[in-house]
Amino acid sequence: MSKWLKENLWRHATALGMSLFALFPLYLVVISSLNPTGSLQLTSFIPRNISWNNYKILFNSPAIPYLTWVRNSLVIAGAVAIISVFIGASSAFAFSRLRFRGRKTGIQILLLVQMFPAILALSAIYVIMERVYRFAPSLGLGSQAGLVLVYLGGAMGVNIWLLKGFVDSIPIELDEAAKIDGASAVQTYWLIFIPLAAPVLAVVSLLSFIGTLNEYILARLFLVEMNSRTVAVGLQQFIGGQYSQNWGPFAAGSILLSIPIVVIFLSLQRYIVSGLTAGSVKG
Amino acid sequence: MTLLFKGKIALVTKIILLAGISAILLMLAQSALARKEYAIALFLLIAVLAMNYVYLTSRTVPFKFFLPGTLFLAAFVIAPIIFTLIMSTYNYKTGNYISKQEAIQRVIALGVEPDEAGTTFDIVVGKTKSGELAILASDTTNNKYFISTKSERIDLNPADLTLNADKVATGAPDFVRSTSAQQASSDAYTKIKYVYEGKYFISVESLEAGAVFRQTLEYQPSTDTFRNLLNGTIYRDNGKGNYANLKKQILEPGWRAPTWFSNYEKLITDNHIRGPFIRVFIWTVAFAVLTVLTSFGFGLLLALALNKPLRGRRMYRSILILPYAMPSLMSILIWAGMFDTEFGAINNILNTHIAWFSNASFARAAVILVSLWLGFPYFYLISTGALQAIPSELLEAAAIDGASGRQIFSKITLPLLLQILSPLLIASFAFNFNNFNLIYLLTGGGPKDQLGGQIAGATDILISYTYQIAFGSNVQDLGLASAISVIIFFLVAGISLYGLRKSKVLETFG
Repeated sequence: MSKWLKENLWRHATALGMSLFALFPLYLVVISSLNPTGSLQLTSFIPRNISWNNYKILFNSPAIPYLTWVRNSLVIAGAVAIISVFIGASSAFAFSRLRFRGRKTGIQILLLVQMFPAILALSAIYVIMERVYRFAPSLGLGSQAGLVLVYLGGAMGVNIWLLKGFVDSIPIELDEAAKIDGASAVQTYWLIFIPLAAPVLAVVSLLSFIGTLNEYILARLFLVEMNSRTVAVGLQQFIGGQYSQNWGPFAAGSILLSIPIVVIFLSLQRYIVSGLTAGSVKG
Repeated sequence: MTLLFKGKIALVTKIILLAGISAILLMLAQSALARKEYAIALFLLIAVLAMNYVYLTSRTVPFKFFLPGTLFLAAFVIAPIIFTLIMSTYNYKTGNYISKQEAIQRVIALGVEPDEAGTTFDIVVGKTKSGELAILASDTTNNKYFISTKSERIDLNPADLTLNADKVATGAPDFVRSTSAQQASSDAYTKIKYVYEGKYFISVESLEAGAVFRQTLEYQPSTDTFRNLLNGTIYRDNGKGNYANLKKQILEPGWRAPTWFSNYEKLITDNHIRGPFIRVFIWTVAFAVLTVLTSFGFGLLLALALNKPLRGRRMYRSILILPYAMPSLMSILIWAGMFDTEFGAINNILNTHIAWFSNASFARAAVILVSLWLGFPYFYLISTGALQAIPSELLEAAAIDGASGRQIFSKITLPLLLQILSPLLIASFAFNFNNFNLIYLLTGGGPKDQLGGQIAGATDILISYTYQIAFGSNVQDLGLASAISVIIFFLVAGISLYGLRKSKVLETFG
């Protein structure tokens, strides 16, 4: 018994302590969402009276267009996730499989570019899109389409880099066999590579979906109108006033948003963890 | 299936797609050109040419794969990087935001003063018989009426006019009153200086009222100077984006002017900027180092604790990974709510009434605590992976040689772990160096003395400080913000390249 204690007590103590630390804010937000007074306060660890009122406010209050925000987020993040992987995959394929002059330089430039956080060029992006707005308002500052374009550019470097890593791990023999059978590069890409890489492409696009949902500052700068905001910006602005009564619906809104993401994340854990050791850090 | 990629159908689809995209881009290029956005128009034009060349000839197969990605990178990553570099050499801030041409127009428009009496007239806008824009002005106090255009003034006899109850003329011979639709669709009326007397002219204030002004500042294109017509003072281009006289008084607005390294110089020489900059820089490094150390420390501790079969290990793992799986944006906002003085859970549990974000030390402690919460699961995951990568023979051999558990850890496990994980630790440092969301959404960079005009708060890191300079305060200084961005970029690129070299070294040994 004492040996077991000596061996395992500290392990359980550490794990339990950190688990409580990890769970504390999450538990708090869950009970706040069910608490009719609506503050992030801890009246008791077990909620006394459960009310769904905060969720009702979220869906019915005209002051909080929560569903519109969610739809905006889904459209924007969905577009970025699909298009960026569609475009990124072809570049990654070329870098990984085709041999051409300037390939090494290209990879080095890509490496440098994907290190550059988009937020550093924020002022420049702002000024450029402000100018685009002057001749094409539907693509410039203030438009969701413009925001998608900026996100696509920002996601491109990282996605190509990430996908290149995955493509490198697909055996090249398959390509060579196709080549011997007379397939062109374009045919190899569509008929051999895409079907093989489909699961990986799905994972990368889900990652970039989550990453886009988590983006705050560009969305905040771009989308000024209440009804064009993303859910992250909307909820943040909503509690910006720090009034206690807003925390209840905020808690409800963030739970509804987080559940699908947590589920996606946990189910992709295996891929993400292997991607982690490849050196990518989640934003 | 193959038919989709070879043959006539494929060719037709390709051509239709290409033509459609080219048409859209060309249209955009044309409107950009009309707005004098030459750089954007040129980029669009090159994009169209490149697309058609690459996809219609078969000379550049790799580029068929690259082009879309390259275009996006060029437009939204590389162009902004270059633009940031250029902006950092400009005096580009509120008051110096527009181009020189626009600034000259604005100075001329603003360089007027009303006559001493502040005379105004009731007017009606319209056209003369020859079609020239004109106003029909009624000087009801003196019972005088006239039509005025940009080149002449015609006095009228009140008897010829249609007057309303207030004695305002609403119609005159040879004067065609413009319809309300014409008025609404045209701001041309307000741009004209209508002749009055001598140096004085009438400016259309609204479509019913005109006021008498005279020009006080005159632009002389030949010498590129402004002259004050009243006292003769000359204002010259001061090379920093403003017209200034000898007493260094400037005319507003200025324009964005190239000033080379002045933004970088300011960071070193200007006390008001250097002080906060250095303070923010030190905190940025401290924040990133502390975050990586605490998160790595706790993550490693957990990885060690759970590195053997243990009852409940799977459950622990699922719980411990939750902070990492949550959208970080939401977690940060939740933490911000928990630290709230009045309604927050932290004060509630501690039974205190601390204003967490009003005190520099408390705010910094809160920032580190939250970034630990956000970061330790990542380090737990990678440490677990790294622990499993250490060959067990090494540890067994050490145990046989009589090393204690502690010795094995400090002499073998830890050095090996650090070697495996150092590129990731460096990457994490670089990431936290620019962890804008955490700072901005948790504390807003505060506490800071906003009334005292302080831009940098106690928890501001370089990137959030840059944001405050560019967008957060009354004077938006894009030039200075860009200069700091450039510095951050070199720092982060240096750190990242160093980390990469380390991982390359590992590859060759691994």
